[in-house]
Parts: sequence; C-alpha cells; structure tokens
Amino acid sequence: MSSMELKLTVNGQKIKKTTQSHYRLLDFLREDLDLTGSKEGCGAGECGTCSVFINGKLVKSCLVPAAKAEGAKIETVEGIGNPEKMSEIQKAFCATGASQCGFCIPGMVMAATSTLRNNPKASLEQIKEEMGGNICRCTGYQKIFDAVEMARDVINKEKSEKVFEEYDKPANSFIGANVKRIDAPSKVTGRLKYAADMKMPNMLHMQVLRSDRPHAKILNIDLSKAKKIEGVRGIVTCDDVPGIDNFGVFIEDQPVLAKDKVRYVGEAIIAVAADTLEQAKDAVNAIKIKYKDLPALYDPEEALKEKILIHEHYKTNLVKHIPIRKGNTEEAFKKADVVIEDEFATQPVEHAYLEPMAGVSYIDQDGVLTIVSPSQNITHHRHMMAKIMNLPIHKVRFIMSPVGGGFGGKEDMIYQGMLALLATKTRQPIKYVMTREEDIVSTAKRHPSRTKYKMGLTKAGRILAAEISMLADGGAYGCSTEGVMRKAAILGAGPYNIENLKMDTRGVYTNNTPSGAFRSFGALQTEFATESMLDIAAEKLNMDPFEIRRINAFVKGNITHTKQELNSASINTVLNELEKLASWEKGSPQSRGNSRKDMFSKDNRDACELGARLKTNGNGKRVAR
Amino acid sequence: MSLTKKRGRGVAASWYGIARTAAMDQAGAWAEIDDGGSAKISTGVTEIGEGILTVLAQVAADELGVKPENVMIGENDTSRSPEAAHAGATRQTYMIGNAVALACRGARQKLFDVMAKEWKVDANTIKAHNGEIWSEGTNYKMEMSESIHICKKKYGVIPVAGENYTSHHTGLDPVDGSGRPWQAYVFGGQVAEVEVDTATGEVQLLGIWACHDVGKAINPKGVEGQIEGGVVQAVGQALMENYELEKGRTKSGSFAKYILPTSLDVPKVTSKIVEDPDPLSPLGAKGIGEPAMVPTSPAIMNAIYDAIGVRIKSLPATPEKILNALKEKKQNGSRKFN
Repeated sequence: MSSMELKLTVNGQKIKKTTQSHYRLLDFLREDLDLTGSKEGCGAGECGTCSVFINGKLVKSCLVPAAKAEGAKIETVEGIGNPEKMSEIQKAFCATGASQCGFCIPGMVMAATSTLRNNPKASLEQIKEEMGGNICRCTGYQKIFDAVEMARDVINKEKSEKVFEEYDKPANSFIGANVKRIDAPSKVTGRLKYAADMKMPNMLHMQVLRSDRPHAKILNIDLSKAKKIEGVRGIVTCDDVPGIDNFGVFIEDQPVLAKDKVRYVGEAIIAVAADTLEQAKDAVNAIKIKYKDLPALYDPEEALKEKILIHEHYKTNLVKHIPIRKGNTEEAFKKADVVIEDEFATQPVEHAYLEPMAGVSYIDQDGVLTIVSPSQNITHHRHMMAKIMNLPIHKVRFIMSPVGGGFGGKEDMIYQGMLALLATKTRQPIKYVMTREEDIVSTAKRHPSRTKYKMGLTKAGRILAAEISMLADGGAYGCSTEGVMRKAAILGAGPYNIENLKMDTRGVYTNNTPSGAFRSFGALQTEFATESMLDIAAEKLNMDPFEIRRINAFVKGNITHTKQELNSASINTVLNELEKLASWEKGSPQSRGNSRKDMFSKDNRDACELGARLKTNGNGKRVAR
Repeated sequence: MSLTKKRGRGVAASWYGIARTAAMDQAGAWAEIDDGGSAKISTGVTEIGEGILTVLAQVAADELGVKPENVMIGENDTSRSPEAAHAGATRQTYMIGNAVALACRGARQKLFDVMAKEWKVDANTIKAHNGEIWSEGTNYKMEMSESIHICKKKYGVIPVAGENYTSHHTGLDPVDGSGRPWQAYVFGGQVAEVEVDTATGEVQLLGIWACHDVGKAINPKGVEGQIEGGVVQAVGQALMENYELEKGRTKSGSFAKYILPTSLDVPKVTSKIVEDPDPLSPLGAKGIGEPAMVPTSPAIMNAIYDAIGVRIKSLPATPEKILNALKEKKQNGSRKFN
C-alpha cells in the first residue's frame, strides 16, 4: 500500500502526518489520530455516525478520501467538547436523556451543532429536516429533538443554563426519580471506547471468507496462495476447532466455521489474521473454494415437507413446535355467534444496531483466552466457548465492551469463535470489525411468520375460543428459534381470558439468513394477529375497540393460556388510562376516518411535506409539487 | 387538507412476561460501601443503551444511603464479576435490579450493626439517605464518609455483601403447554393516529399515545426513552423495513437498500406510565424494553383501516400494498376489503 503525507488542522491543532493513500478521512481520524469519537456505522454515507466538519461544513467522513482533506480545517466531536467541558448541545443531550447506546450520538451531536450554527433559531421541523441524514435505532429521536430545542433556547438566551441541571433531587428515595444518566457524558463527547475503537500492541486484523451459496457442499479449499501473502499470520478452518464445534442460543447446531457444507449466503468458512486489514482482505480474496450446489429450501411450507434436509442428522427441518391446549375449541366454536377466520404475515427485519459486530481477542497474563465484544450474553458465550475450545471454563474469559445497540442481535456468538481460534493459533491479539454489508448478510433477523387464525365470539364480544397456528422461517441455524416459538405461543392469544385455546407455533430450517432473537421475540408476530382480529370482530359486532378488549381482559385471579393463576393484571387500568390519554372518541372501527372528532390534537407531529409529493392545482388536477 | 389525505386512529393492547421464559432465572451482585461514602457494585450487567447502569446506581444509592453519582459499577467480566446472565428478555431491571438491592441490603446491615454499637441504639432505628446516616428519634447523625471510616478503623469491618435474586419459572408441559413461564407480567396499550395519502399510498404515523404498566418505574425518563425507541422500531416494522431475500440472497444488503425510520418518519409519542408493582420482588419494578413495541404495529394497521377502509394483514404496509388494497376495494364495489 502506498503512503502519502497529509497536512491539515484538526480540532485547532496543526497536523503533519504520513498516512495510507487509500484511507478515507474517517480512517485517518480513527487509525492515525486515535480520534475514535467518529464512528463507522455503514461506510456508505447512509447513517451519519461519522459526521465531521470540513471547513465548517458538515460531511460524512466515510465518503471523503483522506487526501481531499489536505490543508482543510477539520472539526470532530472531540473538538466540540469533552466530559469536563461540554458544549451546550452536549449538555442538553445529557439533560434530556438523548443518548441510549450512544453509538450514533457523536454524529447526532455534530448534525445538531451544524443545524444550530446554520440556523440558531431553527424550528422543530427544520431541526428534523437538518438531522434527517443521521440514523438512531434506540431513542426514537424524540429526546434528541428535545435536546436540540433545549440547546437552541439556551444559546438564544431564551432559557437559562440551569435547564441542563434540572434533575430530580428527591428527599426520601432515588427510586422513581429522574437522576442524571451516568453514562451520558462519555457518550455525547465520543470518549466511550466501543470494541472497534480498541487497539492492542501486536494486534492482528481478521477477515472472513463467507459463502456466496445458499446450500452447497464444500469439495475443496485451496489456501496455498493465501498463505504466501505477506503479513498473513494465521488461517483457520473448521479443522482447527479443538473441541465440540457448535453454538447457538437455544439449540447448539452452528459450527464456528462451515463444516463440509454451507447452509446460507454469508456463512463464515475461513478466517484469516494478518498484520494489516488490507493483507487480511488480500488473503481472503486469494482463497479458492470448490463447491457442489445442493437443492435449497427458501419457503417454510416447503421445509415442512422434508424433501430436502438442511441439517441431515436431525432427520427433520422442524426446529421447534410449541403447542398450547386449553378447554375444547371445537365445542366452543359451535356455541359462538360469530366465527372469524383470517391470515396474517410479518416480514424479516434487520436489527440495524448502529454498531456493526466487532471484537478483540487475546490470551491474557494468566494464559486465559479472553474475548472482548459487545455481546448480550457473555455468561452463555463463555460456556459455549469453553466447549468449543476444549478448555476448562475458568480458562475462558469474556469481557463486555460497550454495546452500540443490540435488540437481540448480539445474543448470537457469531464471530467470537473465529477470534478465539486465531488468538490461540497466533498468540497475538486479534481484532475483527464487520462492515455493515457483512453484518447484514451474516447475522440473524426477526422471524418472518404466517399465522392462521380462527376466533369465535358471542354477540356481546366475549371470545369463546381461538385457534392460532403460526409458521416461522428460522433460516439456516437454530439460534433463538425455539425460544421465539415459545414466547409467540405463550403470549400470542393476548392479555385475554380465553377458556378454549388451541395454539401452535412452529419454526423450521430453510436456507435463508438465520432468524434469531429480536426485541419482542415472537410475541410481536402473534399479538399483531390477535389485535388485528379483535378490530375485525369489533367491526362485525358494532363494538368500540376498547370495549371488546376490556370485556375479555385478564383480571387478577384469572388463569392464563398456560394455566397459571395471575397474581396481578393491570390491563383494564392500562386501557382506561390510555382511553383518557388519547381522548378517544368511542365508536365501532368501521372506517370512521375523517369524521372522527378526536383527531388533529397538538400531540401529533405535523405531516411531512418534504420529498416527492403531489398537490392539487387550481383545476383540481394532481401535479408534482 | 388535500382530498387524498385521510386520517384515522386505531388501538391495540399487549402483554409480556418479564425475564427468562419458562426457565429458572437468576442474577448475582456484590456490593460494598466504600471510603468517602461511595459505593462499589459488581455484577454481570450489560448496558445496552436502556440506562441500566443509571437504574442500578439509583437502586444502590437508595439501599445504601449514598448519592447516586457516588456509585461505581464495575465492568462486566466473566472472570471478575458475579454472573447476572444476559441483556435480553426485558430482564435486567427486574433480575439485576433486585440482585443489587439485596446485595446492598446485606452490606448496609453490616454498617448499621456497627453504628448501632457505636451509638448504643437499636440497629432498626438507623437510616441512611443521600450521603447521611442517622438514628431515628435521636440526635445521632453524620456523613456516610465519617461512618464508613469509623466502621473500618474502629471496628475492623468492611460493609460488603453478595446476593442473588431468583425468579421462579417452570418449563411448559410438552403436550398442553401448561406451566409458569414467568412470575411477573406487564400490560400495555397504544393508540395510533395516521394520515394515509390515497394517491401515493404513503402512510405517515403522526401520533402515538402509549400506556404501559412497568411495575414500579425506577427512572421514568428512561422508561419513556424505551417506549419512544420501541415505537419507532415498530414504525419500521409496520411501514417500511423489509429484509428481502431472493433464492437465499439478500436484496437489502446495505443501509441504502434497507430503509430505516429517520427523524422525518417518527410520530410524536405521548407516554403514560402505569405502576402496578410486582408483589413478589423487593423493588416492585418489572420492565419495558420489549413490551414497548408490541402494540404499535397492530395499532397502526387498525388506524389505516379507520382512515381508508383497507386492512393490511401482511407487514409492512408499504405504499404499493396500500394502493393495491385500495384498488381491490374499488373493484369489489361497496364491499370492504377484508
């Protein structure tokens, strides 16, 4: 790789430094200057986590070649403020609780700074528009907007700086108090180090060769060229695993590196460690694999036919079936005044945590294999790793690095095994950071589902019986499918006292990207069906949707779908409070739409009028704005 | 407002179980009242962004009588901190919060026993809050920093304790599914208000009214943050996100192809917290992380039906699906698309 000399000003300091010709400004800041407050969320200018100022203009530093910054004045989040001396915007982010995982926050602070520098009196709508290029996956943006408005008002002297310190100071108890969020200062200033920000002496960089086939037998792997590449220190395949080679949150069916065959596009096959990232990439590109494609399964209904098996040794594609049986649905349907049947479907969804998967592994001073990663379950990962590496459990150590968003996606031990193999093989620290594309293709998604539903009710709206059957695509590996099916089954019929229930949830293997843990874990899919069914029923029975829910709602002492007595059930209180909160106008859900009187309150945002929109011209014709 | 813009509202309810499903759940923690009236907590907690470190600092401060800003929480390290298991299943506040509370009670008792000897009072009269310790009904009162000094130097006691919290769950019967999957449940409901453009098929979610029982809310602003974030993830699920595959290959392999909610897509969220304390655990807190996003998608679909009379049963409700459904409704004459 060729190098170049760069002269520029960063956060007021004159810098002259030799850097890599291929570096982007983001790489230069992070790798050469250790200014890791600017994060890489996507590497494609889509997420805004790498936002910096170049000569006063907000730009995404992942899109700028470092050479282009020659002679420029760069300002990063580290130049905006530090935990000891924060800017108004950073203080406001702390005060409103605008940082959650914190990974998007340095970029958000930069975008907010740009917004208020350009327009110190920006309205809420202008703030939203200016910050539209920065994605946050945790907060829902509301507290970020609150922070920018608060900072704006302080900067304009419309509010005193005291608003930054308006926390609850309770006389008797801190429980129930809005106290200062303790991790906020390190997040709003970019000081917190996530796994991708860490560096160790003699650290090697890992890259992974992944399958481009959905289902194929691996006939031959040729590593000869890759091994000859300068700087390559270790290459591992499934043959390097010393112990029992499988992992998974519920069912341990996934090898660290593909064994004999690949089951999905994106599955890891070979991992390489080299002195530099580029050398590791070159080595991966130099590996030759010979495959024999196998017939593949993409549809869960097809998977149930068992004509093709994804995991031959299981003799079935069914990962898990959870049945729940209560009462007698057939008899109950006969007594029902109304029986409704319908079908619902949900799509696979990506977690899109802003921090792509990353980790560092090394052998510590006691000879203990150590993995630092933003894992959501290091307890379980340690167990699995000890078995995989054939080590006593106390010879495996997991350290949690700050988690830049997880939502269930970081429960799978999808890359830590490779890090462990290479650290063990090379005895050098190993670092791995996924690109966004690599993360999307290789990690688990929310289970797509199809649900068949039959509900029988009395004229008064009481649910007499429900039969619910969900089929979910678990993808190539088990991950959390078993748990997701269980939760979908237990909760799916909703918070309603139903005496006759037949519930089945099934998750199956296919050659699709694996499905795994995702916030709301199966309950989202089945409860979506139930809540849609209740509105369909309410319309048929000419009932208010709150009323039909209250008639059926659990009360203390009721027996749940899994025959547990409830020691408490607040659903009626919740519904009553919600009805008041939303000033709900009673009525049956018969597409009342614009005739309602309870809409247009100030608790709505303004409809967005940006982008490609239509308007009606004077002749009543619809034209582009 | 344009004739093609139709508004509507919908409601949906939800419930959720707290902590690990249909399996015993447990979490451990160590607590120490440290020099200067500070506190050290060690537990296998994972700050995933929800603010659990702040919640634990509040719990520890409350139980120990120190200031929340003087609580230090150690790193999560399987070789250095007690096991507290995973960051998931809406379990951290419930499981680790209660473990920290119990550990703090153990540490506090050691200090209180010493101070009872020092002041020659009954240990039950001793209270501590926000950096001060005193004996009720007497004039004895001092800074925590001073009392910890006495405790160590005069009595040779370090107030330290470790504890564990267990949530008793059982597996499900393999035939009829009966069992006790959780000991604590939460309930929620949301109303959605949407504007649908019948010319473009675009749905804008303008308002969400969210009401959630979270048990005792330890940090109400944190709860609100979870509701707002959950709602917006559900906006993605309901209206735009789709990880599309074609013969096992993704068509949405980057953020350019995978559409996420931005600042321009999100509704204003009005939250109301209902507190129905858990009767079985020391803190009475339950949880909010996952439950926050369960009712949003059906509330939006019910609102779309209210606005334009078409029911979307397959998520997400993209403009194409809305337009197709409207077309189908028109072809079916006055009959509602159902």
